[in-house]
Amino acid sequence: MGSLYSEHLTWLHRWPAGRKLACMAILGTLLFLLSAPWALAAAGAGCALLWCSLGPATRVARRLMVSVLVAAGLVAVFHLWLGRPDVAAVSALRLACASTLGVALTVSTRPTDLLLVLDGLLAPLARLGLRPERWSLQLALMLRFTEHFFVQWRRLDDAHRLRTGRPGGLRLIAPLTVQMLQTARRVADALYARLGG
Amino acid sequence: MTAAVSRNSSYSMALVALFAALMAVMGLIPKIDLPLGVPITLQSLGVMLAGCLLGARRGFQALLLFLVAVAAGLPLLAGGRGGIGVFMAPSAGYLVGYALAAGVTGALMRLLPQGTPMRTALSAFIASVLGGLVFLHAMGIAGLVLLAQMPLEKAFFADLVFVPGDLVKCVLCAVVVHTVAKALPDWQFGGRER
Repeated sequence: MGSLYSEHLTWLHRWPAGRKLACMAILGTLLFLLSAPWALAAAGAGCALLWCSLGPATRVARRLMVSVLVAAGLVAVFHLWLGRPDVAAVSALRLACASTLGVALTVSTRPTDLLLVLDGLLAPLARLGLRPERWSLQLALMLRFTEHFFVQWRRLDDAHRLRTGRPGGLRLIAPLTVQMLQTARRVADALYARLGG
Repeated sequence: MTAAVSRNSSYSMALVALFAALMAVMGLIPKIDLPLGVPITLQSLGVMLAGCLLGARRGFQALLLFLVAVAAGLPLLAGGRGGIGVFMAPSAGYLVGYALAAGVTGALMRLLPQGTPMRTALSAFIASVLGGLVFLHAMGIAGLVLLAQMPLEKAFFADLVFVPGDLVKCVLCAVVVHTVAKALPDWQFGGRER
């Protein structure tokens, strides 16, 4: 499965994932504490500079960024329509800046590196009897079976088209769900056989 | 992984992971347009199904796993969206609400009567309306108020646009549950003990 990570290396790629995540958390919190339009406009200029500095690495996320900017624009139009230009500027800038930070992190950090940080953050839960390491196994299973179920859905759709000449659409959800539940039982047996004690 | 797992625990792990995979597939399936032009994306149907089929705890875990994968940058949301940025968009309330709504739907499904496939489907419809529609939309409205700074009343009316489509999904959820109840008669809906 592909991700929104860009292989085009930038200066942000060289930062460790944990540092990027911490910076994003701090800057994201600051964005939500700021309420002066001029301060958020300065933050917006900073985010635009950050985006430009990443160059071609942002190409994979351009469509996502356009949808974020359209959403921020709609929020601004809504507030302008209500006659609140200050709120329009603050809310649209805040959304655009926070999303830019998130997208910059996403394009410059491999999903596996982010999950390693998550593993580290969840590690203290082991003292409470929880098993954070199972997340990695479940995530691997999830990614493996996403492709499997997508192929299953395509097969069901092809079979439906052959029978009726029309795409299966919503009719395929029930058989796909039944297949998922049956597969889950087999996978559970395999997991128990491999890891059970 | 070194620690041994029990049969129940391996069953939970498999169900949670595979349902999260199904949720991801629902984002890859192209949106379907209703006759009036209202688009239907399937992932909020996945929230309802997670609660009804897996129960509160496993449903919550499945959706949480899915959201962690999204936050890590995998483009699993409808339209190929993903990354931490999507949790800062005006619709973030709905997204964060996915896991909680699956939990609420599952808790309600466990309480509601089952027995015949038809009764189970009716219970699934009620649980989906309360958990996957009312609760999820309340979370979405809270997100619009907090992130987009919309007044509560306006956020409520903006949200109403999506209610008819989600009501259709509640019916679809009941139909899927009915099919599962007939295909797998021993399936324990709402996470009841096996």
